[in-house]
Amino acid sequence: MIPGKYRSVSGRATNNVNCGLHLVIQTSSLPEKNKVEFRLNKETSSFPGRLLQHDLERNYSSRQGDHINLVSSSMPSFPILQRSSEEKILYSDRLTLERQKLTVCPVIDGEEHLRLLNFQHNFITRIQNISNLQRLIFLDLYDNQIEEISGLSTLRSLRVLLLGKNRIKKISNLENLKSLDVLDLHGNQITKIENVNHLCALRVLNLARNLLSHVDNLTGLDSLTELNLRHNQITFVRDVDNLPCLQRLFLSFNNISNFESVCCLADSASLSDITFDGNPIAQESWYKHTVLQNMMQLRQLDMKRVTEEERRMASLVAKKEEEKKRESHKQSLLKEKKRLTINNVARKWDLQQHRVTSIATNQDRKDTDSPSQDSCQMDGSTISAFPEETGPLDPVLTNALQGLSVTDTHLVEVEGDTLSLYGSGALESLDRNWSVQTAGMVTTVSFTFIEFDEIVQVLPKLKMKFPNSLHLKFKETNLVMLQQFNALAQLRRIDQLTIDPQGNPVVNFTLWKYYVLFRLSHFSMQKINGTEVTQNDMIMAERLFGILAHVASSELPQYRVISILGDARKKQFRYLQETKGKKPGIVNEENNDSKRLVGENTNRAMLNYTTRDFYNEKLEEIKEKKKFCQMYIEDLVKEATEINKKNEALQKLWPQMFIELVRDAVIEIRSKNSYMKLCLQQITDQK
Amino acid sequence: MLSPERLALPDYDYLAQRHVLTYMEDAVCQLLENKEDISQYGIARFFTEYFNSVCQGTHILFREFSFIQATPHNRASFLRAFWRCFRTVGKNGDLLTMKEYHCLLQLLCPDFPLELTQKAARIVLMDDAMDCLMSFSDFLFAFQIQFYYSEFLESVAAIYQDLLSGKNPNTVIVPTSSSGQHRQRPAVGEASLPEGVEASLFSQCLENLCDRHKYSCPPPALVKEVLSNVQRLTFYGFLMALSKHHGINQALGALPDRGDLMHDPAMDEELERL
Repeated sequence: MIPGKYRSVSGRATNNVNCGLHLVIQTSSLPEKNKVEFRLNKETSSFPGRLLQHDLERNYSSRQGDHINLVSSSMPSFPILQRSSEEKILYSDRLTLERQKLTVCPVIDGEEHLRLLNFQHNFITRIQNISNLQRLIFLDLYDNQIEEISGLSTLRSLRVLLLGKNRIKKISNLENLKSLDVLDLHGNQITKIENVNHLCALRVLNLARNLLSHVDNLTGLDSLTELNLRHNQITFVRDVDNLPCLQRLFLSFNNISNFESVCCLADSASLSDITFDGNPIAQESWYKHTVLQNMMQLRQLDMKRVTEEERRMASLVAKKEEEKKRESHKQSLLKEKKRLTINNVARKWDLQQHRVTSIATNQDRKDTDSPSQDSCQMDGSTISAFPEETGPLDPVLTNALQGLSVTDTHLVEVEGDTLSLYGSGALESLDRNWSVQTAGMVTTVSFTFIEFDEIVQVLPKLKMKFPNSLHLKFKETNLVMLQQFNALAQLRRIDQLTIDPQGNPVVNFTLWKYYVLFRLSHFSMQKINGTEVTQNDMIMAERLFGILAHVASSELPQYRVISILGDARKKQFRYLQETKGKKPGIVNEENNDSKRLVGENTNRAMLNYTTRDFYNEKLEEIKEKKKFCQMYIEDLVKEATEINKKNEALQKLWPQMFIELVRDAVIEIRSKNSYMKLCLQQITDQK
Repeated sequence: MLSPERLALPDYDYLAQRHVLTYMEDAVCQLLENKEDISQYGIARFFTEYFNSVCQGTHILFREFSFIQATPHNRASFLRAFWRCFRTVGKNGDLLTMKEYHCLLQLLCPDFPLELTQKAARIVLMDDAMDCLMSFSDFLFAFQIQFYYSEFLESVAAIYQDLLSGKNPNTVIVPTSSSGQHRQRPAVGEASLPEGVEASLFSQCLENLCDRHKYSCPPPALVKEVLSNVQRLTFYGFLMALSKHHGINQALGALPDRGDLMHDPAMDEELERL
């Protein structure tokens, strides 16, 4: 309710509104701009209680300073104003000095009960000589050249202060104007909101068309209902949530580009009307629903009513965005976990590799490493995020990134057509039940931070579970000998081989590629380390190592051939038997494999690779046999030497024995008669 | 076969000299290892094949190092096999590092020790810059010396060290006129620091070594020849000279002459066929 004394003196009230202030400047003589600035709202009763209405007289300010005499005074610069007493009585509380070409404020005598003073459209540079008008309620200095707010300290009753379109650079000297209701400072050069915190009765604050770059310091304006900040350079807004009554906030044509810079608006329960048009934020695709979602209390946005439909859309979109954010957050978490795991695995690998060099330094490294390892350990040994123990994996998920098993010691990952294994623990994952679709899609298998010798042992499993794997990649797998490539021959097929130089010293050898091509010629590989294999390469490989194969196959005795081949087959069979769940087709596979071995150049098949451990094992096993053989041969030798000795002894004695034999025989035959008798007797004895 | 020298030796000595027992033991061991497979085609045939391969020198293919090292014949066979298999690499002109040669050796013998290859490389590179590339022929001949005469070379190294430090292991035999010089040598040696040792002194020590020890050493006459050409020489210089000496190579009988190293018409034929 407008207090009675402000109702028009002449009794012509404009509108019958219950509350609020509505500033109406109705004469056509006034410039259009002015009207717009003050946001004329002709719709009145439909918004009860939301409009500021200042009840002003319709006829007010139509006067253009009639009957006013400006008499030059005794004081050199200030003219003295005098009115005819008739006028004084008629319009005792108002004085209009519009367009009087005033450059200074005249001294106004004898008008102490003046309540409305109008100095519009002059050239006044300073507010002066009005300190005596202590009943002043309405002061209009629109369109002058005032550079500084001053001279108002006595106007304790001032309620409306219009200083639009001046040259004011700073808000100041308003300390005593505690009853100020409307403060209009549009069209000035103000850069900062300050010194208004005491204006607890202020309801309308117009700072449009100034040089504000941000909005803050609005505390204390407990009655502020409308804040006009159009056409500034505002980039962020603060403190608006400290304005308990703020209903309308106009931020059109500023520099706001995201909602975070005006986020305090979301906390303002009273705001119902806001404009952002002309800001960069209004061009964004997400503008409307972000604003609506964050400011549920809004009734109007950019001077248009907010419909229920729009609100619903906004919340829907917001929900979708939330989900997307959550999803990407999850993805990034997974990625982070993966990265940490890989780092862990790498560190373990390094430790392993350096184990041989010196134990002392290793201890140091272990000590310094273990605390950091502890700190980056995940929650225990969390296994997968997807259920996989029971049945085959959901094929739908194969498109997205799959972290199947992420513990802190190894990592298994299937991404489209690549199966990546990090750390030796990952090899166990080959035992799992892989869905046929997932396994079928895998064409590339990548091993990192795993000893090659360990990989060799699971190659049969790999062959079985991932039949379409054509490309093998090895990085940090300790490939040191050409011989190790022999182990790859047992696979079904390899089209491409990538051996990363990092951690694989074998790549430093000049001949490694040729050896690979030679040994694995039956695969007809197409690419090694990214470069195509040419016919020349193949020829060179054959030329370099062909003799080796020839020698290996043709010059080995048959039993060696069989034993070497037999060994290889025995090993394979053993691996196959060890896999869980013997498939019924296993026997067939075995036959196929042996057939395949024959199909492969048998001369190359001689070239096998047994891992160092196996080799040593085998040698250990043979030791006993060797001992036995030694003993056996010793016995044989003993026997042979004894016989030899006997032989030698016989040789020595034989001449003597022979002579004796002959002598005995000759002596026997010397006497014919007795010899004949002897023989006859011998014959009769025989019968 | 029934030569008088053979019959002159007592039994065990004879067997030991010819390493007969080694082969017998190994044969029986192999038999035991593969009895299922061998029983298929008879033991007599097995022994025939075994000793045939021993004669041909193919018995050492893909065998463990302890066997390959066991007898001089094995060692020579291994050298020959290595030459035949990888001659093409040499022919191609590639220069390889010590590690790569070691890899090639491992293709034929999986547990061949790295130290031997390193020692061989040291001979070629004169104990300098172990990562240098070596040609096939250089490496092969150096490797031959190192591998075939490993024990001999160890003793030679010990003698060399002694000589270098001034101690003379043969003080009894050295003529008195020069013994005084030797006693003074350490003092003199430190000042002027001549490279290596005196060849003649070295030669004498080596002669004694060859007489003393039973295991194979290069023909003493040839060793003397090598040492007579120079005044002083270093250990690796000596070894390098050994490796390059034609006579020693021929005495060994495993590899052809240096000039003929790349020629092997039989194998080339095979290669063409492949």
